[in-house]
Amino acid sequence: MTAATSSVGGRRRSALREFAAAVQTIMVKELRSRMRGRRAFIVLTAYLALLAFLAYGAYLVVAPLADRVADAGTGFEQANASAFIGRSIFAVLSVFQIVLVAVIAPAFTAGQISLEREKQTLDLLVSTPLRPGAIVVGKLATALAFVVLMILAAVPISAIVLMYGGAEVPNIVNQQIVLLTTAIGIGAIGIFASALTKRTQAATVVTYSIVIGCILGSAMLFGFWQSLAQRDDVLGLRTNGGAPEQIRYLNPMVAMLDVVAEVEQPGGTAFSRPLYRIFGLDLAVGIAREDEGVGPGEPFPAPAIDTRLAGYWWPRVAVSFLGVAAVLTVASMMLVVPTGIRWPFRSRAVPASEPGR
Amino acid sequence: MTPVVETRGLVKRYDGELAVAGIDLVVGPGEIYGLVGPNGAGKTTTMRILATLLAPTAGEAYVTGIPVTANPIEVRRRIGYMPDFYGVYDDLRVWEYLDFFGRCYGVPSARRGPMIGELLEIVALTDKRDAYVESLSRGMRQRLCLAHTLVHDPALLILDEPASGLDPRARVEMREILRELRGMGKTILVSSHILPELGEMCTGVAIIDHGRVLRSGTIAEIERSLRTAAVLRIDLLGDADAVQAATAWLGNDPRVSDVLPAETAGRDEVTSLEAAFDGPPDAQAAFLRDMIDAGHRVVGFRQATSDLEEIFLQVTGQHAEEAVA
Repeated sequence: MTAATSSVGGRRRSALREFAAAVQTIMVKELRSRMRGRRAFIVLTAYLALLAFLAYGAYLVVAPLADRVADAGTGFEQANASAFIGRSIFAVLSVFQIVLVAVIAPAFTAGQISLEREKQTLDLLVSTPLRPGAIVVGKLATALAFVVLMILAAVPISAIVLMYGGAEVPNIVNQQIVLLTTAIGIGAIGIFASALTKRTQAATVVTYSIVIGCILGSAMLFGFWQSLAQRDDVLGLRTNGGAPEQIRYLNPMVAMLDVVAEVEQPGGTAFSRPLYRIFGLDLAVGIAREDEGVGPGEPFPAPAIDTRLAGYWWPRVAVSFLGVAAVLTVASMMLVVPTGIRWPFRSRAVPASEPGR
Repeated sequence: MTPVVETRGLVKRYDGELAVAGIDLVVGPGEIYGLVGPNGAGKTTTMRILATLLAPTAGEAYVTGIPVTANPIEVRRRIGYMPDFYGVYDDLRVWEYLDFFGRCYGVPSARRGPMIGELLEIVALTDKRDAYVESLSRGMRQRLCLAHTLVHDPALLILDEPASGLDPRARVEMREILRELRGMGKTILVSSHILPELGEMCTGVAIIDHGRVLRSGTIAEIERSLRTAAVLRIDLLGDADAVQAATAWLGNDPRVSDVLPAETAGRDEVTSLEAAFDGPPDAQAAFLRDMIDAGHRVVGFRQATSDLEEIFLQVTGQHAEEAVA
């Protein structure tokens, strides 16, 4: 018994509309329970207050130094001193926002599906005609809606930088792209972990482990691998071509430092330099090495930060996160589907009488 | 007429263990059909297959003629499912909860408002409309969950243990609601391991154990298939001697295969006897006349009807004996 036949295009459009309505259904319900009460309000206020405090802190540290430099007339114009303040604030805000997003996004997503399992509401939900795809997308969208609200609400704080100069609107746009794609990627990881495990606690642990692995683990692996390559260079072995750059493609910190590096002077600042060291002192140099022919003749390449190649990493990381988000969202849909019933997008099922059992 | 529920040779295997071992069911429109059996008999699995939450290992299941595995979405539009264990969204209000499920089933927004009012009326939660689900008692939640199965006006309700964990009063309320729903023309498939609550309500039952249907049909049919002899309950007036005489008379009559021990019927000087009697109603009438002619003072004479619990024990007991033999 099928519905009245209609044109393929019409059916596709109505299927799309149905999917959108289903996503909306989930979002309305989630927002009703999530945004009610003071929790959302308090979290958002605390987030903005923290960022404002950090921006002011950066100003407190940097402004007197900039003044001194400007007064001493060492070649810094007053405008450059101002830009120095702007860059510093931009660097601090960017780095802390990416850390906060990495901490907050899992908290908002890791319980989404496992909580439905724990509270035994998932059966009620999946026995409705809602597509599992719409359930997963709706949940991800709601969780992200709040994270996105937080990120966008902080834009005016980042915009303080525009008063001082040093970072321009395009830099803030890049910063926002990195923040949003990271939120989407980590959010999808959280949903996936939530669909995969039976309990929220486990899902939370899994999600944070993956996030820590992405940020610190990949940095350590990359550093170790590079060190081996350097050792081989020094020994003149040349058997190791260096770490594959793909290791960093899911590291949001690398992406954000890359965005920061775009505005910084070569060498970075006292704030950013240690971060460059941890997350790849050769953020740009790693690429530059081959160009500049660092080889056996030059045993220990100078750890100078060459920002000429900045802007290389963040688009790759952003695209990788979007890709991961897409794959994990589909995987989560499969996990929500009652076993063996059907593919998440279509109503046609695999016939149950498959060969075998 | 297409049956509302039909299963043919339904089998579900979990890790090599048979949960459902070939169940055939046919439930017609407007029936209240009971699945009766102990825990782990396969009732829930059967219901979950019909609710499209599980794929059967083998066999076919149809809801209003639509195959559940091939077209689950269409099946879901025609059923309301209440699982045996379920949660509710605590942080929603009662009307929001029903509104949410209304949206899930694609009920247009213009119809959702009035529908919520009607459903709350049916399950007697009208005054809880704006309360948080969290604040509802167990019985109220159960009724709310029942209301959620009705948002899309389905033809079939699949209710897994709808009265479990309820106090007697809440059970009575639940039963009244089910009766009302039946009056609305719904077909209801209901499971229970608590038997008395189902007995008087069902138009048909299937007694399930170890994943198989042991007996099915109306309660009267099952009863008939079980009994070779009817049990007559005879109330006698008189003292112990009179009762003894009557017992002896009954024991000597060839038509009576067994006499059960006497018990007082609660009234003064009235004692009840149960006699297993082999014969149709007119033979029973003749038997009563003979008994009165013999001088026994009979004040009550009727065929004892057994309740579902008794039938159930008898069926599962018989089955166990067959298995041993």
